Amino acid sequence: MSRPSPQAVWAGYLLSLLCALVLQLVELPDALSAARPLWLPLMLAYWALREPQLPVLIPAFLCGLMLDVLYASPFGQHALGLVVLVYIVVRLRSFFIIFPLWQATIALVPAWALYCFLMFWVDGATQHEAEIWLRWLPALSTALFWPLLWSVMELIRSRRGGDED
Amino acid sequence: MNSLHDSYHRPLFPRGPGLGLRTLLLMALALTLIFYDMRGDTLKPARAWTSYALTPIVWVASLPSRLIDVVRGIDSRSTIERENATLKQQQFILSAKLSKMDALEAENRRLRELLASSAHLPDQVLVAEIIAVNQDPYRHQITLNRGSRDGVYVGQALVDAHGVMGQVVDVAPNTSKALLVTDPDHGMPVEINRTGLQTIAVGLGDERGLRLPFLPSNADIKDGDLLVSSSLGGRFPAGYPVGTVYDVKPVAGEHFMEAYAYPAAQLNRGRQALLVWNRGVQADADAAAADEKAAAQDREMQQGDDTGKAAATPAAKPDAAPPPKPAATKPAEATAKPPATEKKPAPATRKTP
Repeated sequence: MSRPSPQAVWAGYLLSLLCALVLQLVELPDALSAARPLWLPLMLAYWALREPQLPVLIPAFLCGLMLDVLYASPFGQHALGLVVLVYIVVRLRSFFIIFPLWQATIALVPAWALYCFLMFWVDGATQHEAEIWLRWLPALSTALFWPLLWSVMELIRSRRGGDED
Repeated sequence: MNSLHDSYHRPLFPRGPGLGLRTLLLMALALTLIFYDMRGDTLKPARAWTSYALTPIVWVASLPSRLIDVVRGIDSRSTIERENATLKQQQFILSAKLSKMDALEAENRRLRELLASSAHLPDQVLVAEIIAVNQDPYRHQITLNRGSRDGVYVGQALVDAHGVMGQVVDVAPNTSKALLVTDPDHGMPVEINRTGLQTIAVGLGDERGLRLPFLPSNADIKDGDLLVSSSLGGRFPAGYPVGTVYDVKPVAGEHFMEAYAYPAAQLNRGRQALLVWNRGVQADADAAAADEKAAAQDREMQQGDDTGKAAATPAAKPDAAPPPKPAATKPAEATAKPPATEKKPAPATRKTP
């Protein structure tokens, strides 16, 4: 299969980030909202692993700022978390991509946990104290959604690629 | 070179700043932003513009819940008829209560005038629709469809039919953000309705509701006590229900008790909220404070020639028996009076615990 054109990749990239931002905002029932998967980190990690030539750091930073505004958290909190997460994923890319999907799912759990920890830490540092164990739940739910996201994105890509090329 | 696309160009600078360096720079930038955001208002415009630009995304994200609402809105005829009957009955009862309320309010006003108190029942309200709920589970914030164009101001109290919901923290031209009473950043002065004990209710950030910290260990408070808002601090109108105490327990190793309360307002139900203008009270307090400051300055300036007058006025108006209309109710009137009398009203009309 030939590679899709860079324009198509870029369009898909931006569109998927936008979708992730919307998914991050969609209202969930109270019981589920603590377990909302971290859609933006998921999407950014996917692109960082799949298309290493794409710039991810700056988009991660900008998406983080948007998320901060939408969540009314301190300006820069999610930006910090996303930048650190993306750095780790890019740095350890060769490590993550040698695994089959289910092992990569497990290997990525520490990355999500680190993101949760950064959010928790900034919240603590800015005197916004809400320390409950539920804070670590997104790390788990995000890991569960990783195989799903990867397969769905691959499916979309293969179909689009087949149409265009 | 088979894997490279035709449009691939060799970059001008084969190696930009390394990944680690760029990450460090961005992290430093993010930390600086956090620092300045917590310290002052310098980043407010950036935030406002971004939030304005992101309005379409918020709208798209609210579509699913709106769709659910629409689907739920499809009712059968019999349900609607039944609901109509219930509502009519309720409306009848409420209007009866309201007419009684009018009489009580009039009586209350007369009694308050007799007591020369400045507290008014707040009557200027505005119905606002809740257009978004913050999806961060640890920030209890809502967005309302009223903003500075409707006269909403930061610190304005927000109530619903059952009690105090929270206060406005951020105002944009057409929308405003409000912090709910259960947010961990939120604290408000409350009064225990049964005993009149004044204390502070802090949000817990989860479904357990409110916490009343640092109660004296002999405080008279028990399960089922109703908390009502207190006008201390000048933000909330007095007398609205805030919550019901459900647990009182001593803190291990401390000399304090803590009480927990469920919020009275139905925070996660309903789409409407009521904005209450309590600015009169606050403006009075501000005006009184400003007058006091001005009076102090005046006294310093006129100490030489005006001592006789300043000493005579407090004697003419002893604070044990204030006049029926105290100065705090009318700041304009207060400014006209000689400076020395204005020290009194603001603290005297405030109820202290």
